[in-house]
Amino acid sequence: MNIFLRELKANFKSLLIWGGIVILFVVISFAKFSAYADNPEMLAILDTMPSAMLDAFNLQAFNLTTLSGFYGVMFTYFALILSIAAAMWGSDIISKEERDKTVEFSLTLPVTRSKLVTGKTLAALANCIGLLLITWGATVANAQSYQPDSQFYHFLALGMLALFIMQLMFLAIGIFLGCAMKQYKRAGSVAVSLLLVTYFMSIISGMHEKLDFLKYFSPFKYFDAGELLHKGQMDTTYLLLSAVIIVVAMVGAYYTYARRDLYI
Amino acid sequence: MSVIEVNKLTKYYGKARGIIDVSFKVEEGEIFGFIGPNGAGKSTTIRLLLSLIYPTSGSATLFGRDAIKYGPELRQDIGYLPSEVFYYERMKVIDLLKYSASFYKKDCTRRMHELAELMELDMNRRIEDLSYGNKKKVGIVQGLLHRPKLLFLDEPTSGLDPLMQRKFFHLIREENARGVTVFFSSHILGEVQRLCDRVGIIKEGRIIEISDIRSLQQNNYKKIHIAAKSLDVSSFDIAGVNKLERTNGGVRFFYKGNINTIMRKISEIDLSDVTIEEPTLEEIFMHYYE
Repeated sequence: MNIFLRELKANFKSLLIWGGIVILFVVISFAKFSAYADNPEMLAILDTMPSAMLDAFNLQAFNLTTLSGFYGVMFTYFALILSIAAAMWGSDIISKEERDKTVEFSLTLPVTRSKLVTGKTLAALANCIGLLLITWGATVANAQSYQPDSQFYHFLALGMLALFIMQLMFLAIGIFLGCAMKQYKRAGSVAVSLLLVTYFMSIISGMHEKLDFLKYFSPFKYFDAGELLHKGQMDTTYLLLSAVIIVVAMVGAYYTYARRDLYI
Repeated sequence: MSVIEVNKLTKYYGKARGIIDVSFKVEEGEIFGFIGPNGAGKSTTIRLLLSLIYPTSGSATLFGRDAIKYGPELRQDIGYLPSEVFYYERMKVIDLLKYSASFYKKDCTRRMHELAELMELDMNRRIEDLSYGNKKKVGIVQGLLHRPKLLFLDEPTSGLDPLMQRKFFHLIREENARGVTVFFSSHILGEVQRLCDRVGIIKEGRIIEISDIRSLQQNNYKKIHIAAKSLDVSSFDIAGVNKLERTNGGVRFFYKGNINTIMRKISEIDLSDVTIEEPTLEEIFMHYYE
């Protein structure tokens, strides 16, 4: 509990900064949306673009002039921002102890390494939930001027759940890298690189049928906003796959951290 | 019961040598000095005992229990002062100490304030604003606030001014008088000599000598200085004589062997003065490292 609270306090500023980024992003996006909203000319412009490009930016599946359609496009960017934050919090919260050489303090206290990992994971998770709620709140607040209907709220809730699962995945991967990597200084950059690689895989996988298999390697494809909007539910296979990734990463984190030398 | 028992402890960092086959025991209530130059393996040994790193082979027990398996539990009774202290920079001293205290199954508040007052530590400052010496003081308070039964001190005096060093030594002696066992690692021999009962000397990862300080000084070498008017230096060039050197009006050397032999030799000379001393730990130490 003491570890959790200390980490929560130490990471609060970082939550505020990320929260600020999200709010700014939502406000700017909605400012753009005001140009698209109920504007048929916009659709005409989009129709002139090559379809591969529309696929790449996930513009095909949505009607940009409606609130739900617009949110569907924004979803990808939310996913990116929230996942990057989660991956960085995850890797940093573990690896900073070695980077700042505080392991010689924190791990010579009467505490097991797994308890330290648990406390820190929970604190990073709290940050993720906080950022998700900020995202949710900012979206709802900005949507008010466009008469959101119940379908939008349902889609929004489903989208937030999907974002939460993605946060969990990248948090777990970040924690695992922080725990397992001997070059602790690189844990954060490796986590974010991994994330960007999987993101580009999700874009490429949509461009060509032969590359379709890549979708299994990219969490960004697990929760496709277009499918969420049209089916109104999540794919069970991908949910299971997400659960497996989270569990494997966390087990790996506890296992490796308890057994490796700490670098001082 | 030995408080620390180390058995053939070996640590390699990949191929790089940490320590090799280190074995020793430290008894309850003892102040055990652990001396060696930088890079000899002092910190590695302590970090192994605190299970920050894991041994390549060998084992160690603290209070009779495996140091790694029961590490977290054992550390309830262990205090550690690292050679360089690093704390969460953004925390206030008081918050850091309270955080540290929250891990122990007893109330440490009173002792914490006592120690902070003794070390003249301002607890309202942030760690990042503290000087090296002041950080060290935080380390001392943090390492002692839970009244540990075993203390690991790794070059504890670096960064402390002489006045603080004296206070610190006084504090350690007081703790020791209460029955606290102290493992004192240092390369400053003077302070080891002042404080410790027994010493282990480590060189390039191996223990080369374990002995109590007195017998280390007595059984080893005598430092002999002879002053005489006419003196044939080469007549002292006999077995057991070391580092023979001419001084202003005499000779100085170290001697190890039958004391009667050298006394007979000396008595043959018409002396103006003679001193026979025990060498300082420093001088013994240099001998081990030649």
